[in-house]
Amino acid sequence: MSESIFYFLQQIANGLTIGSTYALIAIGYTMVYGIIGMINFAHGEVYMIGTYVAFIALAGLSMLGIDNPFLLIAMALAVSILVASAYGFSIERVAYRPLRGSKRLIALISAIGMSIFLQNYIRLAQGSRDIAMPSMIQGGFLFGDPSGSHIMISYMQVIIMVTTVLCMIGLTLFITRSRMGRACRACAQDIGMTNLLGINSNNVIAVTFVIGAALAAVAGMLLGLYYGVVNPYIGFIAGLKAFTAAVLGGIGSIPGAMLGGLILGISESLTAGYLTAEYKDVVAFSLLVLILLFMPQGILGKPEVEKI
Amino acid sequence: MSRVTSAFVAALITLVLGGFLLGMSLTSEGINLVVEASSTGKITFLFVGVVLVFLLQLFREQVGRFTTKMRSDERMELPGFLRTPQQQRVWTMFVIIGLLIFPFLSSRGAVDIATLTLIYVMLGLGLNVVVGLAGLLDLGYVGFYAVGAYTYALLNMYFGVSFWVALPIAGGLAALFGFLLGFPVLRLRGDYLAIVTLGFGEIIRILLNNWTELTGGPNGIARIPKPTLFGLEFSRRPSEEGATTFHEFFGIGYSSEYKVMFLYLMALVLVLITVYVIRRLIRMPIGRAWEALREDDIACRSLGLNPTSIKLGAFTIGASFAGFAGSFFAARQGFISPESFTFIESAIILAIVVLGGMGSQLGVILAAIAMTVLPELAREFDEYRMLLFGLMMVLMMIWRPQGLLPMKRPHLELKRD
Amino acid sequence: MKSMVKKTLIGMGVSAALMGASLAQAEIKIALAGPVSGPVAQYGDMQFIGAEMAIEQINKNGGVNGEKLVGVKYDDACDPKQAVAVANKIVNDGISYVVGHLCSSSTQPASDIYEDEGIVMVTAASTNPDITLQGYELIFRTIGLDSLQGPVAGRFVAESIKPKRMAVIHDKQQYGEGIATAVKSTVEEAGVDVVMFEGITAGDKDFSALVAKLKRNNVDFVYYGGYHPELGLILRQSAELGLDVKFMGPEGVGNKDISAIAGEASEGLLVTLPPSFELDPKNKGLVSAFEKKGQDPSGPFVMPAYAAVQVMADSMNATGSNDPYEVAEHMHKASFSTPIGDVKFDEKGDLTSFNFVVYNWHADGTKSPAK
Repeated sequence: MSESIFYFLQQIANGLTIGSTYALIAIGYTMVYGIIGMINFAHGEVYMIGTYVAFIALAGLSMLGIDNPFLLIAMALAVSILVASAYGFSIERVAYRPLRGSKRLIALISAIGMSIFLQNYIRLAQGSRDIAMPSMIQGGFLFGDPSGSHIMISYMQVIIMVTTVLCMIGLTLFITRSRMGRACRACAQDIGMTNLLGINSNNVIAVTFVIGAALAAVAGMLLGLYYGVVNPYIGFIAGLKAFTAAVLGGIGSIPGAMLGGLILGISESLTAGYLTAEYKDVVAFSLLVLILLFMPQGILGKPEVEKI
Repeated sequence: MSRVTSAFVAALITLVLGGFLLGMSLTSEGINLVVEASSTGKITFLFVGVVLVFLLQLFREQVGRFTTKMRSDERMELPGFLRTPQQQRVWTMFVIIGLLIFPFLSSRGAVDIATLTLIYVMLGLGLNVVVGLAGLLDLGYVGFYAVGAYTYALLNMYFGVSFWVALPIAGGLAALFGFLLGFPVLRLRGDYLAIVTLGFGEIIRILLNNWTELTGGPNGIARIPKPTLFGLEFSRRPSEEGATTFHEFFGIGYSSEYKVMFLYLMALVLVLITVYVIRRLIRMPIGRAWEALREDDIACRSLGLNPTSIKLGAFTIGASFAGFAGSFFAARQGFISPESFTFIESAIILAIVVLGGMGSQLGVILAAIAMTVLPELAREFDEYRMLLFGLMMVLMMIWRPQGLLPMKRPHLELKRD
Repeated sequence: MKSMVKKTLIGMGVSAALMGASLAQAEIKIALAGPVSGPVAQYGDMQFIGAEMAIEQINKNGGVNGEKLVGVKYDDACDPKQAVAVANKIVNDGISYVVGHLCSSSTQPASDIYEDEGIVMVTAASTNPDITLQGYELIFRTIGLDSLQGPVAGRFVAESIKPKRMAVIHDKQQYGEGIATAVKSTVEEAGVDVVMFEGITAGDKDFSALVAKLKRNNVDFVYYGGYHPELGLILRQSAELGLDVKFMGPEGVGNKDISAIAGEASEGLLVTLPPSFELDPKNKGLVSAFEKKGQDPSGPFVMPAYAAVQVMADSMNATGSNDPYEVAEHMHKASFSTPIGDVKFDEKGDLTSFNFVVYNWHADGTKSPAK
């Protein structure tokens, strides 16, 4: 194989890594939108909070003397999911539930306010400086000739992709097989009818927010370990990108969010690899604008019929 | 669940929310990351928060009664001496005269802050047309502000165009941008529109940041000249041979305070023009169409109004005010960089419109003053400014989505008793 | 009433500054402007502890013209926009002396305001040559220029590393791009082949595409112009993606945090820094004063910031005046004995001589001189 194919594959692998994390965050947008039809603008901040909690847990647990990296990561992940879920639950309870039934714009402004609030809360609580964590898992798999052309996929990248796939399988099973999953799907179709059938839609909505937040926390933890840096401002851009992924795949569709995340990740990575890294965000946002303009239902979504 | 149990659960959740992030803080020790207990201040804050949530949940009904009252549609009544149009006109004159003589009685710092406030008033009024009147949530408003600012800065840098020539060009160019962007996006539904405009705003910023050859990239553009008074400069020395400066012309000593006062008065004039133009627009058919469209899209269409052109009008006019404000901002600041035009700036302007009451000019003006002057009065408050902005946006949407001083059309009400 | 008093005080401050009248003030305020928050706040700390120590020591020795110096901190977060706001605030607060700013891109726009408003500014950290090119009377710096640092780095690369395919990366900011360009032209003159010259976006987190590009171009040495948060991530991702080459950066990367981000990958990084003034035997007393306060005097901007305050104070004492123009005139003419050595300014306000030394950075956040 020629060297340029290796280069291409390397960029694809990098794109898949970053795309998987977009997909994890995008689930939160897509599920919430599917059920109550609002853009949870504060979702990116939950991801950021997930990273902070993961760092606190990692540093705290290792100070307590736990030095097995896998145990450490598993425990920190659990803590991060717990706290982020609590945030997801509370955000819905405080900022969105009182607004159920009002205009979409009202809910969106409230969500923007929540996002600004959370970002600044973390800034005041943890400071605005970058917090760095040395990498815990080093090394990777090498394919090809080590001294010549090859691609290298680090263990961390593999962990990110595998975890994402596991989360997606778990989520799909939950949605298709469990009682609660069925309730979720029912709510997405017709929330009023679901209520009439004796399902408490408030609980379903709360569960949706919790699942979205938990997956965002997983993404936060993984990206935290991968990059090793966190600051209070990472949530905004990550949230916007994940929202793009959700729209790209078709908002409301869970496989769509996965697909959208991967496409976005790969297109960013190819832009950076073949054109210039400076404009990769422009590509992401242009994709968002173009999709919304010309294909608002996304790749896997259903076209929305305007009901009068 | 009994009330006490639910209060306990709520308090427990608050503890989980705050325990990690407020109760512990990350610091680096050498090159290692360590966690330590936060300062006592933060921990006190955490416990106060937990107790507060517990009490709020326990006395939910009483709190609920209070918030329903807040939510009520009643608008804060204007004081008695402001009821009739004649009285209002007289008082408006008084306020304008007061604002005109303000810089001569006040310190340089106060005038400087007042100028900044006036820029936000102008931006708030412009966005109010789009969000408050036409009901289009534009999250990329700062993009047009950037277009205005960079128009003047670049025209001046490359062609030496003066502020007074650049001002209308900046407004026009921003309006053109608004028109071109609005054309495709305005058929989108409300929240999609918001996200697309946000995307556009970000694209403009990233382009400015990366097109280094033209815009100077992250370093921005420095040494943008201040506006002149009929060719008289307000600098210590004239920028080119043969030019006269303001203090030389009038034979007085140099003081940079003249410049600050002049900028303030200019901003005041721009704001007064903005207020006047928008006041007239609201009373014109297009202004009424904006509001009709905001209230009911479908009813409008069935009455034969073309929603796209009406929305486009609001978008374009709103954008042009941002363009004027932008070029004035560039001139006042003397320096611009893409960092001045981030999403957070859009959010601040939006917060001003939301707080003031969508559609209400007086409300927006008062909100802009509150938002810029309060942080200056109490420097300690500055830290918490954005936190409170965010909180306020959430609470306003829950309690008073119509804003503190919502707009009211002259109307008659059927008395029922 | 209170605001009246405040207003009058500010008014007095302004008029004192503007008319240059040596009004009797109880204290002389020095604004310390730099990043308290933001990604490069660590460098701000270096500047603040250096300047505050100088103020403390000068006050201990009787102050300036019988008056005490007071340092007032201003946060510009290393953002040009906030720097302009800070500069205006300093003007409004009636302060006539500034130590700062830190980042070249902040110093540049702020210096225009200071010159126009008659405020003396001494930066202890901004190295971009453009800052003093305007021929301003009131702008000085107590650190060397990128046009000195770039050649030092470039010559070291050409003579000791001799790379075959070198890459130069920068963050497009005034400081980063300026020094990257200087390094590039120096190494190219010496016959080194620069195969890549690219900008990245400051604040970005994902550099895997860049690393893959470096690998594809078979680069064997990388120079990075910019600050530590980005280089730390580049080093970390290079190690993970199997790019095993040596990196080099300017003093903006020489900070413990780069090791916190990159860990082992920061071992062997080459950094050009001002010489370690804290090892100079003449500064022994000063170093122990820092250590007594639990502060680290080894940061590259600590001693230059100390010197910045000292030259201003010495000039005020020598002229017996607080008038910024008289003080600045004296600063241009005299020479000063400071912790960074004997200091003399040229007509542009730059130091007549300043050395940069190449260091090897270690994974534990320490440094040692490179051969």
